[in-house]
Formats: sequence, structure tokens, C-alpha cells
Amino acid sequence: MAWTRARRRWAWALVLVLAALAVAVPLTVARRQEPAPTGTPVNVLLEDFKVREDAAVVPAGTVSFRIRNQGPTTHQFIVVRTDRAPDKLPLQRDGLTVNEEAPGIDLLDQVDGLDIDDHRTLSLRLAPGTYVMYCNLEGHYLGGMHATLTVR
Amino acid sequence: MPRSPSADVRAASATQRKAAGGRSGFGRLIPRLPILGDLRLGRRLGWVIPVFIVLVTAIVGYNARAIDQQRGSALVVYTAARQRAFVERYTTDVLLVVDGFQADPEESGEDVRGPVDVLLDGGSVRAPQGGGQRVEIAPASDWRVRRKLEQDRRLIDELIRTGDRLLKGGRADPDYDANVTQLRVLSAQLSSVSNDAVREITQQTEASLSRLVRIGIGLGVLGALLALAMGLLLRRAGAEQAAQFRSLVNNSSDLITVLSPDGTIAYQSPSVERVLGRRPADLVGTALGNLVHPDDRDQVIMSVTELAETPGATASFGCRLHHEDGSWRHVESICTNLADDPRVNGLVLNIRDVTEQAALRKSIGDLLHNLARRSQGLVDRQLELIDELERNEVDPDRLDELFRMDHLATRMRRNVENLIVLSGVDQRRRWSESVPLREVVEAAVGEIEDYSRVLVTGIYDLTLAGQAASDVAHLLAELVENATSFSSPSTRVDVSGGPAGTGYVLEIEDHGIGMSDAELAEANKRLAEPLAADVAMSRMMGFHVVGRLAARHGIRVQLRHCWFGGVTALVLLPAALLGSAGERPPMAPPMPAGVMVSPEPLLLASSWESGWQPRAHLPLGRHAAPAPHRGGDPDAAAEAGEPFE
Repeated sequence: MAWTRARRRWAWALVLVLAALAVAVPLTVARRQEPAPTGTPVNVLLEDFKVREDAAVVPAGTVSFRIRNQGPTTHQFIVVRTDRAPDKLPLQRDGLTVNEEAPGIDLLDQVDGLDIDDHRTLSLRLAPGTYVMYCNLEGHYLGGMHATLTVR
Repeated sequence: MPRSPSADVRAASATQRKAAGGRSGFGRLIPRLPILGDLRLGRRLGWVIPVFIVLVTAIVGYNARAIDQQRGSALVVYTAARQRAFVERYTTDVLLVVDGFQADPEESGEDVRGPVDVLLDGGSVRAPQGGGQRVEIAPASDWRVRRKLEQDRRLIDELIRTGDRLLKGGRADPDYDANVTQLRVLSAQLSSVSNDAVREITQQTEASLSRLVRIGIGLGVLGALLALAMGLLLRRAGAEQAAQFRSLVNNSSDLITVLSPDGTIAYQSPSVERVLGRRPADLVGTALGNLVHPDDRDQVIMSVTELAETPGATASFGCRLHHEDGSWRHVESICTNLADDPRVNGLVLNIRDVTEQAALRKSIGDLLHNLARRSQGLVDRQLELIDELERNEVDPDRLDELFRMDHLATRMRRNVENLIVLSGVDQRRRWSESVPLREVVEAAVGEIEDYSRVLVTGIYDLTLAGQAASDVAHLLAELVENATSFSSPSTRVDVSGGPAGTGYVLEIEDHGIGMSDAELAEANKRLAEPLAADVAMSRMMGFHVVGRLAARHGIRVQLRHCWFGGVTALVLLPAALLGSAGERPPMAPPMPAGVMVSPEPLLLASSWESGWQPRAHLPLGRHAAPAPHRGGDPDAAAEAGEPFE
């Protein structure tokens, strides 16, 4: 079959599109892959207005919090070291949010803007002690959105 | 290797397509662009237009969608913000009522539910600009937004229930503090969820608008590129067209001249160098009249001046133009007045060199003339011989036969004279003195075979200039013969006259079958514009001859329908040809049929310089056969056997 000029042009266009797809697809997939967690994994599930974890006690060392927000509201994930009970953290003047600068509260790290269905991993080197994980958006903590993790 | 027939057919089809602009498929659907004139868009521009249309539609559509989305988003944000205000008011109202103050938590509770219901399910809300107007909000479609709004609604329900408990139990309720805290927490959570929903909507709107802007910019850039490409292609097409036009003008054998309103040459095509041996630059700015032969100059100036008064009109004329080598070139010119066109602002002359045709026509005319002259001499000798025989003959039967021969010879002589007229050689018989008009008419009638059917009446006692007498007699003879040939032998042909304006009009009226409008128009055209000697002239030759003879002396001849059938030929003799022969009688007495022509040789004959003489002895009482049709040439009819023998 004789290749006309137009047919040859279409063939070239098809080859170029396929080549572009061959480069673009692996790059896109690679960006979605998350780094492999190191340390002790703790799966954390955030929802309105609860924090659930699959391990209440973990060994000291690196702990990887694999956080997933089930929503529907956007949440924060904050880890503080404290000896206080999880529902007795000091509040700010508005009476609705935790005062993280209060004595006895040691803010370790936090992840903001976890929207519905977001996944995030937070790795921390934790020394033995009691840790409280909560969301500090207005009314969320007081609505019961906190949990305790003990590190030995 | 020989090609198969089908391959040839395909190749021919492809060639035809190429000749028709080379367009195929979608390109065929695209009409020509008027701005490109004869250049078809074809394969090069065919794809640009549909793409451009799609692009513009896409840009307009996206803009409309973006504007609608912006408006909708602003409304949603406004409605969500109002919902937060309502929550705060409800909480305050509940606490005020519990503390014994005046408030209406029931109404504010209803207000709290309103916005979220509208955002979730769609509906109308009060317009932000006020004035009592309401605007429609579409139901939220994004699943994230819907989930947040549903959570919002659950929290509102819980808030209302908590408020109800507080309102019901008051401060005395043991759970008062817990309920107040719960109310504040729920209020804060609602605020947070509302904020979250608004943020989500805003983010989505921003992303959507950003996408729309990017797409809009992309489409705009693409549109600009396409417009640029189209502009370049159009420019190239225009340049090609201009080059094609230049090539046509430069290589044309015709001259294209643009005359400015003052008669000077504003533009001269390069082909003038080939035709007249002159450079265009030498002619620009000079008057056209300088090139025209002095004999033709007045006519050319008159034609151009007349044309210049009518924008858009076209006229044609012939003349001779001066060649650089001193010779004269015969040209035919078609002139169009484009003074109204700002791109031309003048008269455009398309001039064709017809010198060779003119020379050819002249040589044909000379040939015709030579042949006719030889025949004329022979016919004249034949007529002299017949005359002698007639004089000496006493047997009535033999005399009648001689008369018939005499008439046939006379007709032959007129045919020969027709050829001389058509040859274009001006070798007229001169009449030194004025001739009475009546005698000219009688001489014309005497020329025809059916003279006995002709009734001449009311010819004024005028004289006709000598130089026109022979031609007028010939002209009248042709018209009278036409009238007798194409009417029934039993009918009469009337020849009469009367003053008309400053001239005198002769009417030749028959009672025949007449002519159709088209035939009449054609005959009148031939009479007004006699053609040069060519093949087309063989039809209606008589009318051509009449037209030429009339043109020589400024005589106007026109055919008209008779109201009772038949045709009237009007011959308007101009005053310049006429003279008075004493008192003008009011109307000459009618002449009886059959005796209109003098039986003796007309006295006029002695004054002819050469050639033709009106016949003296005319046979009486003979009739032509009925005419089957008219509008053609009597000679042709005679050759066909009717109406002549």
C-alpha cells in the first residue's frame, strides 16, 4: 500500500503522541507514590470530630504517623508531649482551642490543611512518654477530637 | 507501460479538480472570499476558517462559562458567610433568652437552616445588592463541598436541639453548663465547617477560573497565531493575484489606458510599446487626442466627452492611433467610465489593435467591389440590349417576356449595387443638381417588379440634394421591394410622405403578415448599426444596405408595426438634404394604382454620372406570389422561389 503524504503525516503525529504518553504516565505515577515509611507505623484516622489510631502504645524511636482524613471537614494533626489527660489540655482565652504555649505542653510537630480523603505521613523520633494527638480548629478539640499515644 | 482507462479517468478528474481550485473534502464547502476575487481559498486557506470559527466559539463559550461561574461562586460565598452570621445570632439569641432578655431564637433558628438548604439543594436567596430581588443558586455539585455542607446541616440540627434544651431547662437545669458549652462548641464547629466549605468553594472557583484563564489565554494565542497565518496567507494570495494581474496586463495584446477627467492619460499599460512603439512613461500626462488620427479626433473626443458625463456607462468606438514609426494603427476601444471608483477615478479604455482585420476587411471589400463592378458593366450592357429589343418588338407576348427579362436584369443590377454598397467603397453615382423628391420616389418604385401594387400619395413638391438622390432611390427601392415581397399580392403598398420636425418623412406601409417584436428589433438594429462586410451580413442583407445608405446621408430609417397588421417603414430625410421647389402644395393628389410610374425614361437619367438608370419601359399588371414570411432578405426569398419568380 502506497503511503500518501497525508497518511505519513498522521503516522508521525500518532508516534509523537504515543511517545509523549510514554514519558508522561510514569512521571505522573511516580509523583503519586509516597516515600516508604520508616520506623514504627501508626495509622491515624481523622474524622468529624474524632482521632482514631491503631496503636495506643509504641516503642521509643522513630514513629511514622500515616494520617488519613475521612472528613468531611478539613482537619489538623498536632502532636504534643504532655503529662496531662487528653481532654484536660489548657485552653486559650476563647475557650475553644488548646493553648500550645501553656506550661506542660511541648508541641512536637503538626500537619495542617488535611482535606477530606487526604493522606499524609509524619515521622517523629519520640522519646518514652505520653503524647496527645488532636485537631485544634475551633470546637474540634472540645468536640472530642483527640487521642493519646504512649511511648515506652 | 500503458495506463489503464480508469487511471486516465482518475487523472482527468484530478486535473479538473485542480483546475477548479484544487479543493477537496471540506474545502469544497467553503465559498470564495470576495476579497480574493478569483483566487479560491482552496487547500491552503480551507482549514483555517473552520478552525478559526471553532476557536472563536470556544473562546466565547469559555468566557460565558467563566462569567457565570464567577457570579455563582460569589453568590455561594455570600450565602455561606450569611449562614455563619445566622449561627452566631442564634447562639446569642438563645443565651439572651435564657438570661431573661428579649430575643427571638426561633426565627433566627429558621434563618440558620435557610442558606445551607439552598446551597445543598439549590433555590433562591436574597440578592446581595438588596432591593428585594432574589437570585437562583444551583445545587452544589462537587462531592467534597456536598459532604461538608451535609455535615453543616447535621451540626445545625444538633445546635437547634441543644438550644431547645437550654430554652426549655433554663438556668435551673442541672445540665445548664454542659448545654451552654455544647452550644458554644457546636457554634464554633459550625463556624469551622462553614469556613471550610467556603474555602473549598473558593479554592475550586480559583482553580476553575485559573483553568479558564489559561485556556482562554491559550485559545487567544492560538487565535492570534491563526489570524497571523491567515493574514500572511491572504497577503500572499493578494500578492499572487497582483502579480497575476500585472502579468496579464503586461503580456496582453490589448492596451489598457486610464484617462483622467481632463482627458490626459493617467495610466498606460506596458503593451503600448508593442502596439504603438511608444513607452508608457512618455504617454502618461499627455492628451489621448494627440495620438488619434485627425479625421477620427472629433468623433473620439465626442464619444469620450459623452461618456464622461455618465459614471458607470460604457461606450465603444473605433479610430486610428499614431505609431511611433509614423504609420496609423486601426484600433477598437471599449471605454468604461469609472470616475466614481476612487481606485481608478477616470475612464478605462480597453484598446485592441485591429489593423490587420481592417486591412483584411478592406481587401475583401475591394474584392467584392471589383467583382460587382464587372458584373455591373455586364448587366448594364444586357439592359441596353433588352431595351433595344423592346423598342423593336411588336408582338405583345414577346414584349411581355422581354419586360420580364428587363425586370430580372434590373433586380440583378440592384443586387450588384448592393454588393458595391456593402464592399464599403464609396463610389456613388453623383447627381449634380437637386432632384424632385417625387421623381426619386417614382424611380424607386419603378425599380421593383410589383410596382403596380404600389400607391404613392402625398409627396410634397420638394427637391432632394443631388448627391443623395441615387442612394435614396436605392434605399427606397429596397424598402418598397421588401414591402411587396412580404405581403400578399392582392394587397396594396402605400408610399406617402409628410413633414416631420425640420425634415421630411416617407412612409412605406404594407398590409402583410408583419414581423414579430424580436424580428422588428433585429431589423431596426441592423438599420441603425449596419455591420461591416462579414458572414453574418448575408442574413437581412437588404437592411444592411439600407442602413449603410442611410448612414451616408444622416437619414434615419425605422420599422414599426402597423395597427392593422403589416409593417411601416419610416424614412426620415434630414432638412440638409431637402430643398423647396416653389410653393409647397398642401398635399399632392393621390396617384391611381398601376399608373404611378412614368412610361417614359425618367429625365433624371441623363444626369447620372455613371451606371444605373431608372428603367423606362415597365411592365404592367404582374403580381408577385404570396409571401410566406417576412423579416428576411427579399433576395434570399427570391432565391428560394418565392415570392419572386
